[in-house]
Amino acid sequence: MKIYDCVPGLEFDEVADFEISPAWFQDATHSVPPWTPMFGWFWVNFCRHGMQYGAEKLSLPTVKGWDWRFKDGGGYLALLIVQDPNERKAREERFRVAIKPFLEDFTGMWKGFVNEIVGKYDKLKALNLETATNIELLENFEETINTCRRMWEIHMYMMYGVYTAFVLFEQMTKQLLGFDDSSPQFHKLMSGFDNKCFQVDKGLFDLAKLADSMGLKDMFLSTEAANMKTALLQSPKGKEFLKTFDDFMEKEAGWRLERMAEINVPTWLEEPSPAFAVIKMALEKGMSYNLDEDRKKLEAERIATEKEILAKIAPEQRGWFQTIMKLAQDSSWFSEEHNHYLDLYAHALVRRSVMGVGARFAKEGAIDTRDDILFLIPDEVRRAGINPGMFNLRPLVERRKADWKQWCAQPPVPAFMKEGFTFEDAMGGLVGSMDPIALKVVVGSMPVARPELKADLFGVCGSPGTVEGTVKVVWTEAELSKIVKGDIMVAPTTSPSWTPVFSILGGVIVDRGASLSHAAIVGREYGIPVVMNTFQGTTVLKDGMRIRLDANMGAIYILDK
Amino acid sequence: MDMDCKEIFWLDELSKEYNDMVGKKCANLGELVKIGLRVPYGFALSVKAYETFMEETGLKEKVSQIVEKEINAGLDVDKEIGRMIEMSANIREAIEAADMPPGLAGHITEYYAELQKKTGIPDVPCAVRSSGAVSMPGQMETYLNVRGTSEIIRNVKKVWASAFTTRAIVFRIQNKMAISWAPIGIAVIMMIEAKSAGVILTVLPSAGDLDRAIVEGNFGLGESVVSGEITPDSFIIHKNDMCIESRSVAEKTKMVAYADCGTGVQDIPENLKNTACLDDSEILEIVRIAKDVEKHFGAPQDMEWVVDQRFSFPENIFWVQARGAKYTKKEAKKDEEYVIDLMLQLFRK
Repeated sequence: MKIYDCVPGLEFDEVADFEISPAWFQDATHSVPPWTPMFGWFWVNFCRHGMQYGAEKLSLPTVKGWDWRFKDGGGYLALLIVQDPNERKAREERFRVAIKPFLEDFTGMWKGFVNEIVGKYDKLKALNLETATNIELLENFEETINTCRRMWEIHMYMMYGVYTAFVLFEQMTKQLLGFDDSSPQFHKLMSGFDNKCFQVDKGLFDLAKLADSMGLKDMFLSTEAANMKTALLQSPKGKEFLKTFDDFMEKEAGWRLERMAEINVPTWLEEPSPAFAVIKMALEKGMSYNLDEDRKKLEAERIATEKEILAKIAPEQRGWFQTIMKLAQDSSWFSEEHNHYLDLYAHALVRRSVMGVGARFAKEGAIDTRDDILFLIPDEVRRAGINPGMFNLRPLVERRKADWKQWCAQPPVPAFMKEGFTFEDAMGGLVGSMDPIALKVVVGSMPVARPELKADLFGVCGSPGTVEGTVKVVWTEAELSKIVKGDIMVAPTTSPSWTPVFSILGGVIVDRGASLSHAAIVGREYGIPVVMNTFQGTTVLKDGMRIRLDANMGAIYILDK
Repeated sequence: MDMDCKEIFWLDELSKEYNDMVGKKCANLGELVKIGLRVPYGFALSVKAYETFMEETGLKEKVSQIVEKEINAGLDVDKEIGRMIEMSANIREAIEAADMPPGLAGHITEYYAELQKKTGIPDVPCAVRSSGAVSMPGQMETYLNVRGTSEIIRNVKKVWASAFTTRAIVFRIQNKMAISWAPIGIAVIMMIEAKSAGVILTVLPSAGDLDRAIVEGNFGLGESVVSGEITPDSFIIHKNDMCIESRSVAEKTKMVAYADCGTGVQDIPENLKNTACLDDSEILEIVRIAKDVEKHFGAPQDMEWVVDQRFSFPENIFWVQARGAKYTKKEAKKDEEYVIDLMLQLFRK
């Protein structure tokens, strides 16, 4: 059966893998619904590599990154904890040196990495996939693999470094000021920063304005997003608009996928209807990009809060406190911006290369259709890469496609645990690792039920504020269209490509999340209340329900019971 | 500076910005009043008052002549200490003997009369202290328990004269400064009826420990503590927790108290010798206030407090001095190194 392994060497094995860790958690944020074999191979191999690379480069004293396994389309992870006290000590000494660049010039480091990785993307894009030779296609594919691996190295090295500062800063506010990262005051300190993702959103809203000024509003309102391109091509004005639009897609917005962690859906560049949908929605619902204005307010509030807080810190402690606060604030915008330059962009290019190979394989007869390539893995691409016509890969595709369909039909398994080991034991292990990513992105704070509030559901504050509104439960990007101004979106988690809709939302409730997850960061920048880690928001709350959301208290009240 | 430089100011008219006019001590007291500290009533004579005095009495000219004459006669400032001392004495005598110019004398009389009204005490006893605008040798004089207009005026002149100690003259000659130049202000402040007095430092000076404060005090006036002649009571307080971590109550035999003229040393009554000069609530109140001042000035403070027996707690605590504390700075680790230490502690949890 080994021939059908999707991630050779990293398939989950109940016997051997429980020796490494008694608990393996599913990465529910990224691997639900199940990954295709091709994408699972990229993620499990290189996210795993990146975490271990980052933890090692930084020499984190307690953790060597995460180990990953692939099982039925899911990614499962376990922390590699450093047990030996002497080894921890030795790692501490190296950490001292390794963390310095972060304290000295985090923004400069990030700029350097962005230039490096975008340079690699540009090289990949330079090849015309349709006219390329088989050898060139295969080379492009291998370079894509290297680029994706490098992306994850940068990703996890930067994230581990900057999140360490975030965790420390939260500790410090707790100790010196008496509040943690679920307090509105903490969120004020983390708000009022621009990032690349917002700039892309702004570009889309600007396009809506342009369409309006060119007299195309009616056409947008009366046309389905999927038919927009064809419709635009009918008129000179439409063609003119399309030119600006295409240019923006190619340069800025096109290199993203609806699902950040999968390549089986088109990029916006290939299939721009999600972008048209945003523009249509903006015109329909009168959405406008008010983030720049809002940000000024948030920025002023942040500066006032900083001042207020610094006054409470003893003068001789202010220097280091500000150093750590600055880096923690950097982690807030980085947490959002990295999605644009790293995950979204790199995966869009993985899709580009994989689909290039897929089209060629289909054309020369190795597989039936282009998208069947998603059920192969890189070793098989190599097997048939130069002479696709000589190999029949259909049996592999058929078998794996059938498996994948079955994975999609069965409920996800949140964790594999050795007998006698409980979920609580396992969570304790995550927290004990002091792994900053595990703490601030994966685990988050657990909600505290406050019976005196008589609320119906509790979560953790991700962005302060209170609001009343109508529930809209959203599982996929396609469902975003049902949202009207003032609605409260309820979702398992949110994805970076959902950001534009935040401008009309009254509030957000997510099943899972932590102070550095997408919903919290974007909610803070849009100044709307966000409650996270309700665990059961998407099951308890139903479309159309009227609710009151008090994010400050992490409380949700159903009004029309 | 766009401020009117008068010859005389009430303390509550002053603030840090007046440093050059009235000297640090007065400016600081003004600042203390501004931030709501209880400071004894009083007024300040500015540098301009000194200059008026020197000009109008002709002393400016006269002092220069005395010095020039000596130097022309071949005085070696480094070697002939005896002649220098004699010259200093001559100058000081001339200053003390000069009549206060009528305008200035009128001002002082007026302010002192107002001070008596404010305190409700006739011939209110005052401390007359020098208040230098810059650090110079001399200018150390303080005269206590001065009562009545003519005594105030006499002691003001004594403080001005103190700008002409031998060291101060040598300093000016060597630094080629005008011989009569002295940026000196004077504080005239109502004396307190001190139950006890002393100092607080919001840092442990030798350890450079910024987390703790030390309070030292004795019965009577603060001079016995400041001069270091007796072993005072001493309390160490953790500034964050506000707990008194250590207390050493000394056997105190002498204290400084008012005498008919100035102050004198007295024996402490037998039953008080081994009693703490402050109770705990007074200690903590002193620390609490000093912490506020530290925050205001943004640096550890060295402050002098007096507990007045005429009033009840907490209105009995008065402040007469606040300045930046001198202390051994801990080998200042760079902020960055400290942040790294904190990060490592995080992983050790």
